[in-house]
Amino acid sequence: MSFFGAGLALILLAGLSAFLLEGHGRLAGGVFATGLVGGGVLAAWPALGLLGTMDSSLSVAGGAFGMDLLSAWFLVLLLVVGMATGIYGVPYLAKAHPHRGAGRIHLVFTILLVSVAGVFAARTVGTFLASWEVMAISAYLLIMVDHDQAPVRRAGFIYLVLTHTSTLALVAMFAAWTGGEAGGGGWTAPFDHLAGASDGPLFPMTLILLLALGGFGIKAGIVPVHFWLPGAHAAAPSHVSAFLSGVMIKSGIYGLLRVLMLLHPVPPPAWWGWTLLALGLGSAVLGVLWALAQHDIKRLLAYHSVENIGIILLGLGVGALGVAYHQPALALLGVAGALVHTLNHALFKSLLFLGAGAVVLAAGTRQIDRLGGFARAMPLTASAFLVGSLAIVGLPPLNGFVSEWMIFRGLLETGTLPGAVRIASLAVVGLALTGALALACFTKLYGTVFHGMPRSGAPGMARGVDAGLIWPQWALATACIGVGVLPFVVVPVAAGAAGAVLGGTVTRSVGGIDRVAEGSTAVAGAALGLVLVLALIGWIRWRRGSRKAARVGDTWACAYPRVTSRMQYGASSYAAGLMAAFGPMTGSRVVSHAGSFHVQVADPVLDTVGLPVWERVSQAAARLRFLQTGRLRWYLIYLILSLVALLLYLWSVTTTQ
Amino acid sequence: MSVSSLLSLLVLLALAPVLPGIANRVKSALTGRRGAPILQLYFDLAKLWRRGVVYSRTTTVIFRLAPVALVATTLLAAWLVPLDGTTSLVTFPGDLVAFAGLLALGRFALVLGALDTGSSFEGMGASREVTLASFAEPGLFLCFTALVLATGDLHLEGMLGRPLAAVWPAVVPSLLLVATSLFIITLAETSRVPVDDPLTHLELTMIHEVMVLDHSGPDLALILYAAALKMALLGSLIVSVLVPRATLGAPVALGVLVGGLLLVATVIGVVESVMARLRMNRIPQLLVAAAALAGFAVILLLR
Repeated sequence: MSFFGAGLALILLAGLSAFLLEGHGRLAGGVFATGLVGGGVLAAWPALGLLGTMDSSLSVAGGAFGMDLLSAWFLVLLLVVGMATGIYGVPYLAKAHPHRGAGRIHLVFTILLVSVAGVFAARTVGTFLASWEVMAISAYLLIMVDHDQAPVRRAGFIYLVLTHTSTLALVAMFAAWTGGEAGGGGWTAPFDHLAGASDGPLFPMTLILLLALGGFGIKAGIVPVHFWLPGAHAAAPSHVSAFLSGVMIKSGIYGLLRVLMLLHPVPPPAWWGWTLLALGLGSAVLGVLWALAQHDIKRLLAYHSVENIGIILLGLGVGALGVAYHQPALALLGVAGALVHTLNHALFKSLLFLGAGAVVLAAGTRQIDRLGGFARAMPLTASAFLVGSLAIVGLPPLNGFVSEWMIFRGLLETGTLPGAVRIASLAVVGLALTGALALACFTKLYGTVFHGMPRSGAPGMARGVDAGLIWPQWALATACIGVGVLPFVVVPVAAGAAGAVLGGTVTRSVGGIDRVAEGSTAVAGAALGLVLVLALIGWIRWRRGSRKAARVGDTWACAYPRVTSRMQYGASSYAAGLMAAFGPMTGSRVVSHAGSFHVQVADPVLDTVGLPVWERVSQAAARLRFLQTGRLRWYLIYLILSLVALLLYLWSVTTTQ
Repeated sequence: MSVSSLLSLLVLLALAPVLPGIANRVKSALTGRRGAPILQLYFDLAKLWRRGVVYSRTTTVIFRLAPVALVATTLLAAWLVPLDGTTSLVTFPGDLVAFAGLLALGRFALVLGALDTGSSFEGMGASREVTLASFAEPGLFLCFTALVLATGDLHLEGMLGRPLAAVWPAVVPSLLLVATSLFIITLAETSRVPVDDPLTHLELTMIHEVMVLDHSGPDLALILYAAALKMALLGSLIVSVLVPRATLGAPVALGVLVGGLLLVATVIGVVESVMARLRMNRIPQLLVAAAALAGFAVILLLR
C-alpha cells in the first residue's frame, strides 16, 4: 500500500515538474515521462501482487483508501493506459500545441490519473465522492484545452452538466444507503459498513439501484445518457481522448460492480439484471450504428466506446442475473467476461485514439472522407491501428475476441439453465449484430484512412510525423496481442476478481475459476494454430510467387485509364447501404443531388431529447432570474435568510427530541 | 480429435471445389444448356495457380495477405466442426464464437484487400459484403442459439454431434427451421442467387466477385478455393442439423456428409434456376426473414 501511495505521489510530482519546467522543452518532457513511468510501475506493483495471489479474501487494508481484487484489476488497466497515453502526450503536445503550455496539460493529466486511482481505491463514501469530483473537474479542464473553438466549449459544457447530474445521483445514492443503516456514519462511512444491508424500509434497494444506474450510467456513457461522450472525447487532445475513453468511463463500470459487491450477500432483484442486459443491448447496437454514420474519426471512435460499454454491460447483466437467479457459475462467467472486456477495451480503444491522433496530426483534419493512403506514409502507426481494429471487432487471435467469447458464452449458457433466465440467451442476436456492424465500421475506417489513394496531399508530407508517437501505440498493441494469445493467464485472474465481487465463496463452491477458464488454453491453441496455418499457406503462396515476377499496374477500373482519387468509394458511400437499411434509427440523413452525395449525422438522443429538455429547463430557470439582482445587499439578505432558516431547523429538531 | 475427423476434413478439402461445379451444372441442365464440366473449378484453380500476378500500385501488403488469410481462416473454422458426425479437431466451450469469428476475420481481410486498391467498384462490393454480413451474422448466431437450447451443449461438437442425435426426434420442427435459415445464410455467404449472381458480367451488379477484381493468378485461386470451402463448410452445418450422424459410425457418417453436400449443391442450383436475383435493397429483408426463422426455432425451444 505504501508503494501505491508513493507511486501516485511520484506521478503527481512528475506533473508538477512538467509544469514548473515549462519552456525547457526536452528536459520537461523527459522528467515527466520518467516520473510517470516510475510512479506508474511503483503504484501498479501492489495491485499486480494482489492479482497474482488471486485470493479473493485478500485485500490490502487501509483507512480511507485500500485495495481489493476489484480495485486492483481496474488500477492495473488505469496505470497501463495512463502511462502509455501520458508518454504519448509529450511528443504529441509538442507537435499539436506548440504554442500552448504543455506543462499545465501534463499537470492536469496527472491529477486526473491520480483521482481515477482514488476512485478505484477509495474505501469510504467520502473519499470516493471526493475523488469522483476531482476526476470530473480535471477531465473537464482537459476537454477544454482547445477552448478557443466553439464546438469544444459546447462539448465541454454538455459534459459538465451531465457529469454533475451523475455526481448528484451518486450523492443521493450514498445518502439513501448510509441514511438507512443506523450508525452508518454518513460521509465517513467505510464501504464495509454499507455491505450486506438488507432490503427494507430503512434500505430502499430499488431507489439505490436506480440511482446507481443513473449516476454510474451517465459516467459510463450508457444509451440514452451517452450523448455527452462523443463530443467530449472528440474535443480533447488525442492522448486525453484515449485516457477518457480507455479508462475514465470505466469508473462507471467499476461503480456498478462495486454496488453489486456491496450488496452481497443480498442478491439484487432480477429486474436490475434484466435492465442491465437491456441497456447493454441498446448501447451496443445503437452505439455501433451511430459510429458507422460518423464522418469524424474521433467521434466515430467515441461512439464505439458507447458500443463497448454496452458489451461490458451485457456481461454485467449476465452476472447480475446469475446472482438474482442463484446461478453462481453463470454469475462468475458474466462478471469475469465484463472485467476482461473492460481491460481489453481500455487497451484497444486507447491504442486506436493514439493512432487517430497521429493521423489527425499529419493530415490536419478529422474528416475521414478527406483522408486516404496513410499506410504508406505511416506504416507503423497503420499496423498498430490495424491490430486495434481487429481487436475492437472481436476477431481472433486478438484480445477483443477473448472477452466477446466469454460474454457470448455467458449469454448462451443461460439457455442451458431452467427458468426465466433462459430468455437472456436471445440477447446473442444483439451481440452478433454488434460484432458484424463493428466489422463494417472498422473496415470503413481503416480502409478509408490508410488504404487507397490519398484524398488530399497530406500523406505525402506525413512521413515521419508519427516519430516518437509510435512506441506507446505499439506497447498497447503488444498488450492487445498478449491478452489475445495468452488468455489462460488473464482469464483466471479475471475470474478471481469476479469471485471477489460475488463474495468470494462462489469461486470455491462451484470450482468457479477453473470453469470460467475452461477453454482458454484451447483458445490460445487455436490462436497459435491460426498463426501457423497462416504462415504455412503464406509460405506455399510465397514459394509459388517467387518463381514468377509480379507485375505492377494500375487498379482495374473497367479499362478506364485515368483513375483519380476522387473516384474511390468514400466512407459515407461505404456505410450508405447499412444506413439505408436501418433507416431513422441511425439518426443520419442522406442528402444526394446530381453530382453530390452527403450524409448528415445527428445524435438522435441529444437532438431530439437532450437539447429540447435543456431548452425547457432554461426557460423555467429564467423565471427565477429575478432573484439574481446582481446587488450585493440582496445576496447578504439571502445569506442571512438561509442562516435563520437553518437555525429554525436546528431548533425544531432539538426541541422535538 | 480423432483419425476419422481428420480424414473427414481432408475429404472436405478435396471435395469442396466440386460443389460450385454441381450447382452450375444443375442450373445449366434446368435451363436447357449443356454447361461447364462439373470439375471446372479444379481446372480453373490449376490454371490460375500457374499464372503470374499483377498488383495495383496503390496496394500495400494487406492486399497480398488477404487471400492467404481468407484460406487460413476458413480452413481453421473447419477444424471446429464435427465433420465425421461426432468429434471436431479442436473443441472448447463456446467454440461456435470462434467459428463465426474466423469467418469474420477472413471477411475482414478480403474487404480490406478490396479497399486497398482504391477502386470504386471494389469499394462498392466491399460495402455490399459487410452490409449483407451484418444481417447474416445474427441469423447464424440464432441458429447456434437454437442448437445450444436443444442440446444444452456449448461445443459445436456437441451441438451437431452426439447430444444432438440424442434429442433429435423431439426437436425436429425447430431443426427444420434452423436448417432453412442456415440454407438462406449459405446462399448469402457464398454469393448465390437470389442474393448475388456468380455469373453476372456487370461489375455494378456484383457483390463478391467485384471485391476480387484486382486479384489475379494464385491469389485469385486461393480466393476461389476459400469460397468453395466456405460453401462446403456451411453445407456441412445444414447436413449435420438435418441428419443426426453421430450414431451411424464414422464411414457411413462421412458418406452421408458427402451425399448431403452434393444434395445441398443441387438444391442451390435449382434455386438459382427458378429464382431471379433480388433487388439489392431487398436482400436485407431476406436475411432478416432467415434470422426470424431461426428466432422461431429458439422460441419453440424456449417454451
